[in-house]
Amino acid sequence: MGRPRAFDEAEVVASAAALFASRAYDGISVDDLVTHLGVHRNSLYQTFGSKRGLYLRALRRHLDHEVRPALQSDPNQAPLDFLLLAAVERAPADAEVATEITRILAEFDEALSPATTAALLGHRLRARATPTP
Amino acid sequence: MAQINIDGDNLIVEIEGWDKLWALKSRLEIPLANVRGATADPGIVRGPRGIRTAGSHFPGVLTAGAFRIDGEKVFWDVHDPTKAIVIQLADERYTRLIIEVADPRETVDRVERAIVDGGRA
Repeated sequence: MGRPRAFDEAEVVASAAALFASRAYDGISVDDLVTHLGVHRNSLYQTFGSKRGLYLRALRRHLDHEVRPALQSDPNQAPLDFLLLAAVERAPADAEVATEITRILAEFDEALSPATTAALLGHRLRARATPTP
Repeated sequence: MAQINIDGDNLIVEIEGWDKLWALKSRLEIPLANVRGATADPGIVRGPRGIRTAGSHFPGVLTAGAFRIDGEKVFWDVHDPTKAIVIQLADERYTRLIIEVADPRETVDRVERAIVDGGRA
């Protein structure tokens, strides 16, 4: 059982966060994860239990390492892509994701104000739909 | 094809029909505490299965029974790859169950939800 893992877990979780921030959860297969993360299927299951297990780890890491530090320094520049996608797509179906999103949005409200947070999220959503020249 | 149910604190996996013969065991009962997760994974059948230790394997038709790969024991029961799900276990005879279910998405959601709820109880 205690077989050594020949990969950097933190690095894999960070890469998974980037992947989950870019595409819909259902649009990412285990094949995609194996290919993008360079980790064997068996190791993925052994380490994270399931695709959802990896998703949760990735979301929590992203919030702790990317979003919260930005909230402290410059809330307007905080990365929101993963957060927006998770809020729209996974939070309604997954209570643990909903808890994470609710918590981080409350932190935004505190760092900015509820109105500013709402405006920021709205702007970022529109920016996603606007082609960059 | 397998039927998956949650009964109290247990996950019940029942292998239906003729697969019972091939897979040797028709019913597995696993405490939810030992279930680490469930994932729909149609691509897994293209990977290596390992060495068959019991059951049957007709390449391209049916994989059913116990296999050993990388020191892990894996239970397979899959005809239709598109309906394969992977259930990862801890402290059980099998490290992983790779089984076919009627509705992979619904089954995976149900199992994952049961684990979360079990963890809170």
